Amino acid sequence: MARAPVRAALHGFRVLGSLLLGLASGGALGACTNNPYPDADAERKVLYTVFREAPRTLDPAVAYTTASHQITGNVYDTLLEYHYLKRPYELIPSLAEAVPEPRPLPGGGVAYGFRLRPELLYQEDPCFALGGEGRTTRTVVAADVAFELMRIADPAVNSPVTEPFSNLAGFREFAKALAARREADPEFGERPPHEQYAEVGGLEGVRVRGELELEVVLRAPYPQILFWFAMPFTAPVPWEAVAYYDGDEGRPRFADHPVGTGPYRLALYDKQFRMVLERNPNWYGALHPEWQAPGAVYPSEGEPGDAEAGLLDPEYVGRALPFIERVEFRREKEPIPTFNKFLQGYYDSAGIIQESFDTVVREDRLSPEMAELGMRLEKSVNPSVFYLGFNMDDPVVGTAAGERSRKLRQAMSLMVDVEEWTRLFINGRGVPAQTPLPPGLYGYEADYANPYRRVDPERARELLAEAGYPGGVDPATGRPLRLTFDTADTSARGRTTIEFFVNAWRELGLDVSIEATTYNQFQQKVENGAYQIFQWGWVADYPDPENFYFLLWSEMARSKSGGPNTANFSDRRFDRLYRAMKTRPNDERRIALIREMRTILERERPWIELFHREDYALFHGWLRNVKPFGMSFPMVKYRDLDAERRAELRTAWNRPVRWPAYALLGTGVLIAIPGFVTFFRERQ
Amino acid sequence: METWVLSNVVVVLLIAGALALAAFVRRNRLWSSAFAELWRRRPVAVAVVVLYVAVALLDSVSWVGGFEAGEDAVAAHEAQSVIDRLFEGTRERSYSAPLADAEFYGGAALRHPGSHVFGTDILGRDVLYLTLKGARVALLIGGITSLIAIPLALLFGVSAGYFGGRIDDVVFFLMSTLASMPGLLLLIALILAFGKSTLSVCFALGVTSWVGFCRISRGETLKLRELDYVQAARALGVSEVRILFRHILPNLAHLVIITFVLMFSGLVLSEAILSWLGIGVDGSWGQMIDRARDELSRDPVIWWNLGAAGLALFGLLLAVNFVGDALRDVLDPRTVREEL
Repeated sequence: MARAPVRAALHGFRVLGSLLLGLASGGALGACTNNPYPDADAERKVLYTVFREAPRTLDPAVAYTTASHQITGNVYDTLLEYHYLKRPYELIPSLAEAVPEPRPLPGGGVAYGFRLRPELLYQEDPCFALGGEGRTTRTVVAADVAFELMRIADPAVNSPVTEPFSNLAGFREFAKALAARREADPEFGERPPHEQYAEVGGLEGVRVRGELELEVVLRAPYPQILFWFAMPFTAPVPWEAVAYYDGDEGRPRFADHPVGTGPYRLALYDKQFRMVLERNPNWYGALHPEWQAPGAVYPSEGEPGDAEAGLLDPEYVGRALPFIERVEFRREKEPIPTFNKFLQGYYDSAGIIQESFDTVVREDRLSPEMAELGMRLEKSVNPSVFYLGFNMDDPVVGTAAGERSRKLRQAMSLMVDVEEWTRLFINGRGVPAQTPLPPGLYGYEADYANPYRRVDPERARELLAEAGYPGGVDPATGRPLRLTFDTADTSARGRTTIEFFVNAWRELGLDVSIEATTYNQFQQKVENGAYQIFQWGWVADYPDPENFYFLLWSEMARSKSGGPNTANFSDRRFDRLYRAMKTRPNDERRIALIREMRTILERERPWIELFHREDYALFHGWLRNVKPFGMSFPMVKYRDLDAERRAELRTAWNRPVRWPAYALLGTGVLIAIPGFVTFFRERQ
Repeated sequence: METWVLSNVVVVLLIAGALALAAFVRRNRLWSSAFAELWRRRPVAVAVVVLYVAVALLDSVSWVGGFEAGEDAVAAHEAQSVIDRLFEGTRERSYSAPLADAEFYGGAALRHPGSHVFGTDILGRDVLYLTLKGARVALLIGGITSLIAIPLALLFGVSAGYFGGRIDDVVFFLMSTLASMPGLLLLIALILAFGKSTLSVCFALGVTSWVGFCRISRGETLKLRELDYVQAARALGVSEVRILFRHILPNLAHLVIITFVLMFSGLVLSEAILSWLGIGVDGSWGQMIDRARDELSRDPVIWWNLGAAGLALFGLLLAVNFVGDALRDVLDPRTVREEL
């Protein structure tokens, strides 16, 4: 009998629980939002962007990918940097007081003298306690730049840019001495790197003259060295950071914990989900706005058209940088959800995915629907070149076959319709290439038309007949000449893109088969020289013609030195012209040399130049001062955003559609009511 | 010997084999009544399978000469199959929708307006042509792989079931080991190790798909070896080999046929999955579907490549499955007994 009240109480709790659950569900639906960010950040100047894979390393001497430069480029300031608006690209001083002039030395060497700005500070970091208890930062000295240059030479660091820096006097000798000493004395190798470098006598070509002065000595003229001083490889690095962040006792590795002098510092580094950059209060632009240093204020000059594009807005000109207080990188693995979040306003900029290209871009302009949302489309030609190459060491398509192979290559070049290829496979996002040089670089001439980069099947057939392959038939076999196109792309899509070229050559009667292998097998073929035709691309390290023509310099031949001249092109006259062009300033003589080199390539055809990639990027209207840079240099410090406008539009674009949820809840309640009624009736 | 000559020889041998089989079936009352019953139950499915086989054979018979490929000057020097010749010179520049008069992008007039039943692909190839070519690849994969997997399964299954003891232990260990490995990973590893060709894909599929039938044939052999007539043969001193070939294997024939048909559809589907992962066979429907992956997310959507390949795959698998079910009903003594 005593159980009845207990049962009634339990039942009462159940009913009350159900009602509370219903109310909570309704409340949750009411408060439901798809905003992935905290409300507190809604009106703050936070730039939201994405990363697909976390950088493998953030060590400035090693990091060489766009993904890593997004971080290292913002955390490490360099001695020089590029002007944000001017084109052709122009170097301006950053941590250095001026862009140095070359000083010829007896014996053919050249010296560049840098003077650092005074009172430059590193970001706050516990590693500086190694230099004195309680220290959290220190001033930047010329020895820090020397230390980083020695790290590039250090074989243990494994920097990918030792080749250009081998122009420094004593670079290779330093590396050898270091390696030999480590081998001879294992204990030596355990000591902090700066002590090891000092012990072997330092790098001959890097002379520290006092706290702020540094002289870099080159064995021979190499004017492009200055471009390397605008890249994070040469940024000052404190020895304390390298010694302290060794991965022991719970400390991260230096490759995961950058310590620099840049406008931002890495506040959070979660490789799986999120990376956050925050303003560095120790940045020289923030500490000394009175200097009006060119890299610390918004520029007052640009190229023609910048003012009309709103890039020289008086509201910004001369103002201290940076404008954005935080940069959030969120991990996104798939392009379609990334693009959808951009459309919802949760990312401030995005590339255009191929699948949505026709919706976003109409007749090469932003579609009216997108323009109505306030978005902007920015196009820029990337300093890059994509090409088909012939292995010039091959007996059939290479130099050994003389005039015969030259005419064969010329004929094949005349069959490749690159405009059609870009239209079909990359939505037309490519400028047909006539030479290796992309637009915007010194030596590029827009009115030059390569006679072998048009489509002319008739002339191609004539050339093929002159080459001894009439109708594509090899007289030795009586069958179409068989060639192979080697690729490391085994996907169906990759095959289709190559089939386009193969079909064009089949029209000539050439039987080109596609050999798709894994990347390792492909590399093996390249190592062994067992390839005939291949497809490759190159994106500039720095904006100089030397950085493109060296791809065809015989010293860089893959078969000779393992260099990037995969076509193994070797021509004495071209080499002579290249060497002369390499060290010349940008003058008329340099242009003349480039034209002569161009003529050789035009005739010899080691490459069939395809296109220079065009980047199309979408930006929301609230993002200001956006000018695509082309090369892999983060220019976040110049950008600004209207956070209030963004918050308004995000709310407007993401109003939840709640009625289906309410309808579902209502239906549930309606279904439940008869049940409750019956239950209560039976209880009574 | 040139590949196309070899292909023609194989076609002739296949046709001769099929005729010989037909003659045997006509003479054998059990088999002839079984096939008559199959035809009575599933005439459309049987006709569809025969149609696919006919298309595959037409694509396997080829010869050099008498071919004007238009833009493709090399094709005139290569052996072209009957299917190639039927679609001689039908290439367009790029995409066109089914039966369209103009290109899908740009709207330029087609060279052969209204003649592409399934439209054309990104390189202007007729999608119906590509789809018909896929039939040969599908039958090759199903056929060759079954020829690898079924004999393997029979060898191990019958040996284990008939001889028992250590042989049974070894075979069982082998089966258990293979069955415990993730099938797809093993497939990928084998294909990467042996290279990406039709034969290596068939080999990889064959090596990974014999275990199921091996278990069945082992169980069936275990049962058969205890039957009176097998015991009697053994008592009369008939050799083990003769018993296997005379009494065991003929009694597994119906299982072999049913397994072949059912395994076939699974193998064709497996190849489609491998193509999706980028390691399938060139020219297969799986590869067509893989290529269509990007096209589906285009706006406006390009659906005909996926549609045609999917339809062809679906048609073949459905017909094969219907035929397989009907064959099981017709050949399995238990179902026959129930129906009686």
